[in-house]
Amino acid sequence: MNTTAITAPAELCSTTSRQWKERVIQNIATPQNEVSIDLSNTRFIDSSGLGVLLSLNKTLRAQGGILKLLNPSNAVAQLIELTRLHRVFEIVHA
Amino acid sequence: MKLTSQPIEGLRIDFPATLDAAREAVCEIIGWLESHHHERDECMTWELVLTEAATNAVTHSPSEQALRIEANCSPRHTQIRLTDHSEGFEWPEFVCLPKDEENEHGRGLFIIQSLTDHCSYLRGRGENVLDLQRQRKSTPPPTEDLAATLDLMTAEVSSCYETLANIFRLCAEAARDVSSEELASNWLRQLLEISGADFLALRMVTPDGTQLEDIANVARLSKAEIEVSRSSKNNQRVEGSQETLVSPLERQATTPFMDLNRADLIESRAVTLRLDQWFDGNSVFHQDDPLSHRSTAISGVAHPLEIGGEVVGVLTVGVCSAHWEPKARDINVVRSLGDFLGTLLHSLRRRDEANHSRLIKRELQIAADIQRSLLPAELPQSTTLQCAGHLTTAGEVGGDFMDGIALADEARLFVIADVMGKGVPAALFATAFRSLLHSHLDLAQRPCELMKRLNTSLFSELDRAEMFITVELTWISADGATLRTCSAGHGPLLLTDGRQVTEIGADGPPLGITVDEPYTHQEVSLKGVTHLLLHTDGLSDSTLPEDSGLSRDRLHQWLINTSVEGIDAWSSRDTLRQMHHDHHDNTRAQDDATFVILARENALLPSPRNQTLTHASR
Repeated sequence: MNTTAITAPAELCSTTSRQWKERVIQNIATPQNEVSIDLSNTRFIDSSGLGVLLSLNKTLRAQGGILKLLNPSNAVAQLIELTRLHRVFEIVHA
Repeated sequence: MKLTSQPIEGLRIDFPATLDAAREAVCEIIGWLESHHHERDECMTWELVLTEAATNAVTHSPSEQALRIEANCSPRHTQIRLTDHSEGFEWPEFVCLPKDEENEHGRGLFIIQSLTDHCSYLRGRGENVLDLQRQRKSTPPPTEDLAATLDLMTAEVSSCYETLANIFRLCAEAARDVSSEELASNWLRQLLEISGADFLALRMVTPDGTQLEDIANVARLSKAEIEVSRSSKNNQRVEGSQETLVSPLERQATTPFMDLNRADLIESRAVTLRLDQWFDGNSVFHQDDPLSHRSTAISGVAHPLEIGGEVVGVLTVGVCSAHWEPKARDINVVRSLGDFLGTLLHSLRRRDEANHSRLIKRELQIAADIQRSLLPAELPQSTTLQCAGHLTTAGEVGGDFMDGIALADEARLFVIADVMGKGVPAALFATAFRSLLHSHLDLAQRPCELMKRLNTSLFSELDRAEMFITVELTWISADGATLRTCSAGHGPLLLTDGRQVTEIGADGPPLGITVDEPYTHQEVSLKGVTHLLLHTDGLSDSTLPEDSGLSRDRLHQWLINTSVEGIDAWSSRDTLRQMHHDHHDNTRAQDDATFVILARENALLPSPRNQTLTHASR
């Protein structure tokens, strides 16, 4: 099984999300079974950041893989719930 | 990146339309909220809301337009406004999440609305405002710093004393005989020192309330400019100051008058809205705005000056820097002294206007006295000729002149003239004209030569003053049988024998037009003629329709009737005066009107003698 773990930046917002997404896309250039995004250091995320996570999720699913979000902070988890995306993402609290 | 922030009653930040600048601005706002005792989770919520709002605004704004965030809070409430200059959009009635829950976009408005208590989007022409409000979770603890409060109160009391002392000095200076402009300039220089500003401009509303007039304008020169000005010694040094000089460059940059209807000019807007208008390095000035003419980036405030609810002017104070954080004390002093200066100047202007009005009235009175002194005590009668005259002036004084002179050989010379213009200048030329006329009566028998002499003598003065005089000279022989008449731009002389009216006009140019122009006169036998009328153009208007007022035809008909009925000169004069009065009261603006009517004795019914000359002021 091909698994990759990636750490998200402290702020995943409009000023950082595009650049981070390009880096992640390079990392998962080869087909992946599972990609885990570690959100434990991410203190702030906005709708742009959520959009990047959704985009990565679609890309992986198209490749037959899955995306997991690891240890989101309370603020990040609350935003995911507010926007009903807890029904889309697999969230793992270690 | 250096952003422009300014303490208002809260915090205001202007930032360029980039995502990095927006993020930096949001972080600065969050720092301000933290310093105002917002709890950590409140700050995080605001950070998310503002990031969504600012990102949205930046994405849709033109790159050259700055955006603005303003934040303020009370113990129970926080309000943040975001202003952008995009075309804006329609805020949906119901803000929902995307139907496709995996859609990567479309959650920003939902987040904003979900996390605020009040959210409204005001879409305007070229400017949109997003107003966001939230209740605070807890009342902040009292934070009064007694030492700081004491310092603040001390500064405030000090500024009050300083303002009061300056107002006393201002009153003392105003009591001297000083012009409004001089007073304003002196005090703007004082204010420049007191406020620490780099420039000050005072504009007052014009009496008709449509424009702002530049009254005084002072600016602090840079050190380099001071050196230049010291060496050239062309500038004026301010007493007690080594640094502050009036800048001629800044003076040139001013606009004498500014239309109050121009809402895009900052000072006009301050007056119209009656609100302080702040500006800084991020403000966009219209090209017609005098503030845009300054050579460097500026910031400051335009403060409207009010007296009893009436805006009388605007005082603009600022610095040559893109950013200015004036102390509250400085702004208070500027506002207080500015308001008082505006009140004082308004009063001085009223006083000056009243004085000017009195002077004009006095001048017109003098001119009227001169004109009355020029009229003959009475017109010369003879056994063959009755004469009566009348002069009406529309205002205090006009330019009409008449004379009737008994010559040495018992002949008569009648003169009627109209000096262009009114007031003292016209009266002075009429005086000079009369003096010359009486000093050349040896030429009266040859009216054309007399006219030429008058023109030669008066030409240079009339030409210099760009004025002219129309004249009619009429000589009548001692036996009353022959008439010679010469006209310089004047209307025709009217003669009647009771059957028809003859117009006689030997026309040359008015005096003062050309120096070498020859004049001619016509000689006419008065056999059969009963009445003659010399008049200025104010009596009759040949442009009027036949059925309206005292037209040319109506005047002719009246003259024929007068002849047929054999009416004497004085009764004819009274009738004609009444006709002119009735007509001009009802149909058009009043004008000077002067006439002399002559009646030959052998054609008349017997009549008692009467006053020969009347003079009326309307």
